[in-house]
Parts: sequence; structure tokens; C-alpha cells
Amino acid sequence: MNREQWLAERTFHHSRFWDLQRLVEAKQKKGLTISLCLPALNEEATIGKEIIILKSELYDRYPLVDEIAVIDSGSTDQTREIAAQFGADVYLAKEHLTECGDRRGKGENLWKALHLLKGDIIVYVDSDINNIHPRFVYGLVAPLIHDESVHYVKAFYDRPLAFSHGLRPSGGGRVTEILIRPLFSLFYPDLTAIIQPLSGEYAGRRSILEQIPFPVGYGVETAMLIDIYEKMGLEAFAQTDLDTRVHRNQETIDLGRMAFGILRTLFNRLTRQQRMHFEEQLPTIMRQHIASDGRFELKEYLIEEFERPPILEVDAYRERFHPDTVASSPE
Amino acid sequence: MPLRTATTAESSRPGRRIAENDPEMMLELRDTVAELPNALAPLREEFLANLVMLGQIPAPTGEESERVRFILDRFLESGLSEAGEDEAGNAVGEIPGTTGTRRIMLVAHLDTIVPSNVDHNVQVQTDRILGPGISDNSLGASVLSMIPLCLSQLNIKLASDLKLVATVKSLHRGNHAGFKFHLDHMPEPVDVGICLEGVQLGRLDYFSIGTLRGDITCDVRPVQSRSYGSESAIAVLNRIINQLLNIEIPQRPFTRINIGKLRAGVSYDIEPDHADLGFEVISHSDEMIARLQKRIEDIVNEVSARHAVEAKLDCFFRREAGGIPFSHPLVQAVLGVMQTLGIEPDQGHSPSELSEFIARGIPAVTIGLTTGEKNRKEPDQIMIEPLLTGIAQLIGSLLAIDAGVCEEE
Repeated sequence: MNREQWLAERTFHHSRFWDLQRLVEAKQKKGLTISLCLPALNEEATIGKEIIILKSELYDRYPLVDEIAVIDSGSTDQTREIAAQFGADVYLAKEHLTECGDRRGKGENLWKALHLLKGDIIVYVDSDINNIHPRFVYGLVAPLIHDESVHYVKAFYDRPLAFSHGLRPSGGGRVTEILIRPLFSLFYPDLTAIIQPLSGEYAGRRSILEQIPFPVGYGVETAMLIDIYEKMGLEAFAQTDLDTRVHRNQETIDLGRMAFGILRTLFNRLTRQQRMHFEEQLPTIMRQHIASDGRFELKEYLIEEFERPPILEVDAYRERFHPDTVASSPE
Repeated sequence: MPLRTATTAESSRPGRRIAENDPEMMLELRDTVAELPNALAPLREEFLANLVMLGQIPAPTGEESERVRFILDRFLESGLSEAGEDEAGNAVGEIPGTTGTRRIMLVAHLDTIVPSNVDHNVQVQTDRILGPGISDNSLGASVLSMIPLCLSQLNIKLASDLKLVATVKSLHRGNHAGFKFHLDHMPEPVDVGICLEGVQLGRLDYFSIGTLRGDITCDVRPVQSRSYGSESAIAVLNRIINQLLNIEIPQRPFTRINIGKLRAGVSYDIEPDHADLGFEVISHSDEMIARLQKRIEDIVNEVSARHAVEAKLDCFFRREAGGIPFSHPLVQAVLGVMQTLGIEPDQGHSPSELSEFIARGIPAVTIGLTTGEKNRKEPDQIMIEPLLTGIAQLIGSLLAIDAGVCEEE
């Protein structure tokens, strides 16, 4: 399947999947289970609304998802309390798979979700979406339910940024256009067909997600695309237009650190694939200027972009999901 | 979750027991009502989700079509065979009763006072939901949309036909246009009406006092007045306001003039050639309202003549005082349900859809569903915890009406 063909055949609009009753029937017929994971860190303003709407529509009314879980990085606000009150399963990431140590970051939560949740399909939805709607879930899982050759579905949308007075159309996706798309054009041209490679919403089959490493920080979305592509090719992907997504705007200086993490993730893969070679190990420090009291200051940020191994390599995970592959201990 | 109800499928058969005259049945009804909040608990998240989704759809008066679609989708998903838009654009659903001997109408207005360019995102906190228009009246409309599912989950089958109407063009100059159309064109009359408002729990309105609403507009003429010259529209409107405030209002019958809206001017250095205000006169006496309307007309005409302005009065809303008495079985039945649920009643009047029922001689009440706040500068908020009690109050009232306790001698 070439890029143009893929773009034509594997790009959907969520409205195509509006018939939830039909979708639930198809899911049940195929004997699939679906877990919804909401990674969170201090999202008390939006988490309650997300859970209420997604649980009511996709769990109580139409049983499309079999569990809804918040994997929390250690929120200091009411995120976990609100999530539990409205019926989500709540996990504090650092309390699970403790034998693997504790890392902070969205990727860590996504990785541990594979161990904590039981679904054949895992759908990840960010917890900071203001205009949450069930389409953010059904639009992503539907291609996986209907087509067994699809293994991973990515969201794309028009992303207006929230301002104090109303909305400004578009303007999102700066890192995508300035960093990711040029890099993909250089090294992974097939992946340029993906309209929003950094979108925070995606769904995948456990069978592929368990085989790939997870950077714990900024690079997790980029890594997933490259690693799944490397294993299965473009055919494994689909993408769904979810219309508008309203979220908090990020300062350009924050996006700079994100770009640093993504670059490290990408270079890791290029060196692993022996397409690039560095004489020295790349630094983990990102430096940015801060203007204060008429002076410029250089501030250093440690961005390791530590990567979790494929969770299939973790004993506790294999014991839970692939007990037949765990060597029985000697008598 | 199915509820043990004595309803009324059986009680409405020929030779049925009328609860009011049947102490055993009244006790049974009271027990059923007391159980309702717990029976409704499994539906809590669905009620809240419905509220959030509906509340995020902007619906200023005249732009309610997306909310109408939402309500109708809910009706159809609940398996309502009869659901659709009427000619005025209201969302209408009907649950046929087992006997249809009585017809009950639930109504909630869909429009809000919030312009569509305001961010309608809703925030859910542990104990409350905040958002523009949430209490007035997204909550009322969203609960209305859940009634078919709710009755079905509670295993309640009413003997009476139940008609659900989510109305358009209710507020401001909409003047209940959608609801009036529906009431004036429905094929079969209704026996009892209940109007749903988001707040406050305990609200029990069963009469409307006389109300007059109008706009006064001032447009400066290019020609100066021979007696007074020409003034800014603001200055002229100010004279009108002063004269309105100087009108002597008697203490009895209760009467009040409210000046609620004022608008004029575009810049610091330009005298405006247009200004307008909105006012309301309320009174227990229709005669007093008529007298005050005449007085306001005189003030406007006089100022118009003297100050070289086109001052105009447009009284677009007029309600006569009326309603049902406190002793009416409907009021007593709802009070009984409130008492069973531990709700403190707050009786009063309402210029809402209730006045349309009253104007057509249909016994009706307005009830509030939870506690909360209607704000002007900040988003509205409603409290989550009392909501199930508020919905239980509604279902309990339906059961009481269905059991015949509201029948007048």
C-alpha cells in the first residue's frame, strides 16, 4: 500500500462510526475487549467531565469500552479524587510494577497501562480535552473493530487553541510542522501521510503495543509510529478525523523542550537502525534563555528521554497476559 | 434498580382506586417515593453526562436547533416511538400510558440567555457542575430528555399519557412563542402540566402574577426641538428613567417596576443618537398593570414630543395574574412528595411556561431540580448531591398525579 492509497483508504471521519449500537455488536461478535486509558497529571479542571461523558455514553449506555482507568503521574490537585468519584479505576503509576522503578512522564503511564488494563485494544485519550465527546473514543477504536489488518489508529483534528475570549481557529501543531514533518520527510517518508503524528489520542492492539519500547517523556508518540512502522509497515495504521479538539495552549519555550525530547527519541531509532552514527553520546541537557530583570539567564533542563523496554520483556506482565510463555520454576 | 411501584397501571383500570381516598395506597405511594433517590442512583452519571453534553451546546433564543436534535436523539435512543419536532421547532416526545385516561405534560425551555460566542465548556468538580446556562435551563432540559430512560429503568409504567416538550423561543422577546404554538395546536388537551427549572430545589410555583415587559427606544431626530433643543439619546433616556422612578407605587397590591436593561453609546467622544432600555412591571393586580402601562406611555410620548427624539414604547409581553390555589390537589400532592423526600418548599410565582398553562386553564406547577446559582458574570453552577432528590421529586409527582391524587372534586 503506497502513501496515496493509504491516505485514501485508511483516513476516516468519526461520523462514519456514529452508530454505536452497531459498533458494540461488531465488537461483541469479534469477542474483543477494549480498555480506555486516561493518563493524567493535575487535570482536575477537565478529568471529571471526561469520565462522566465517556463512562455514561460508552460504558453504561453503549458498552463499547470494558473499563475506564486513569493512570496518574502523582497529581497534587483533586484529579484522582474526582476520577474515582465519577467511577473510573484510578491507578497511581508509581505504585505499580515497582520492581521496574519509578519514572515520571506520560509514556510511563501509557506503558504501565498495558500491564494494569486488560483489553485487547487500548485507547489512550489525554485528560485535558475541554470539548470531550464520545467520538474521541469510538472514532479511534472503530477501524480496529472493523478491520483486522489495522493495528494502530491515530487521531487528527482541527486544533483551535483556548483563549480567554472564545477560540482561535487552528494554530496548533507547531512542533509537527516545524520538526516532525521535515524529519519524517527525510527519514520515514511513508509516515508523512499521518496528518497529526503528535496527537495525544490513539488506539492500538495490545498485540503490537506490548512489543514496542515506550519513551517515558515527550517522544512516546513519535516512537510508537516509528516502531510500529518498522515492524508492520504503513498498512498497520489508520487515522480518524475527530473534528475539533480544544485544549490548553503551550508556550513556545515549552515546545522547545518537547522538540528536544522528540529529537533524542528519533536519533535513538536512527542509530538503532544504523542509519546515523554519533561519535559521542548525545547530551541530555537542554538549555533555554530566560529573560529576567533585564538580564538573560541560561536555564538547564535534564531531558533524558528514558525508554521503557517492550512490556513483553517484563516478567510480571508475561505472567498476567502470557502465562504459557513463563518458564515454570524448578521444584 | 427496578422499583417496587404500586402504580398505576392497575389503579387506573375501571373501578380503580383513587389514591387520595385510599389511605393504604397513599402509604404505598409514600414508600415508593421515599425509595426513589436510591433507585435513581445508578443513573447519576448518565444524568450528569447528559447535562454536560447538552449544556455545551450554545442555545440563545432562536438558535436552539442543535439542542432540539440532541433531545430528539435521546428520545429515540430510549425507544420512544413518538418523537419529533413540531411545526414551531419544539422537541416533542410522547410515552403512551396503559390507559391514557389522563394526559400529563412535562416542559422545559431549551434556550438560555448566553450568547453563542461565549465559551460553553462545562467544568465538573467533585460536588458541582459549572457552566454558562447550566442552571437556567440546561439542567431542566437534560432531565426532561432522560425521563423515558429513567421510567424504563425504574420499571414505571404510567397509566396516563406523558408528553415531553422541550421548547424553543421562550426567553426575552421569544415570549414563549414555541410553547404557545404547541399548546394552541396540540390535538388533545392536557390535564396537568409540570415545568422543569434547574434551580432551586424546593421551588414550587403555582401562580403567576401580572407581568408587563417592554422596551423603550430613543432615537434623536436631526431637527432640534423648538422648546428644548436637541440632546444626546442617553440624556433623553435618563429623563425617562427619572420619571419612571418617580411613579408612585402603592404598597398594596404588591407592585414593582424593574428597569433591567440599558444600552447606549459607542465611544467616549460621540453623543449617541440611539439608546434603549428594557423594563418589567409586576403586580398582583391586572388593573394596576394597565394603569402603569398607560402612565409609561404618557411619559414616553411627552418626552418624545419635548426633546426632539423618536421615543417609542413596545410592550411585547403581557401576562395576567392567575393560577391555582394553594389548596389545589396538585399543589398538595407535590408538597406531599417534597415532604416525603425532606425537601423544604419555597412557594412562589413564576413568569415561565407556567403562565402559559395558567392562561389556558391547565393546572400546573414549576419545580426546581437541585440547588445552585444563576449568575450573570460567572458561569452558573448546580450542586450534584441534591439532584437525585430533585429528580425523585419529579418522578414522585408524576406517580401521584398518575394515581389520581390531583383530581379535583
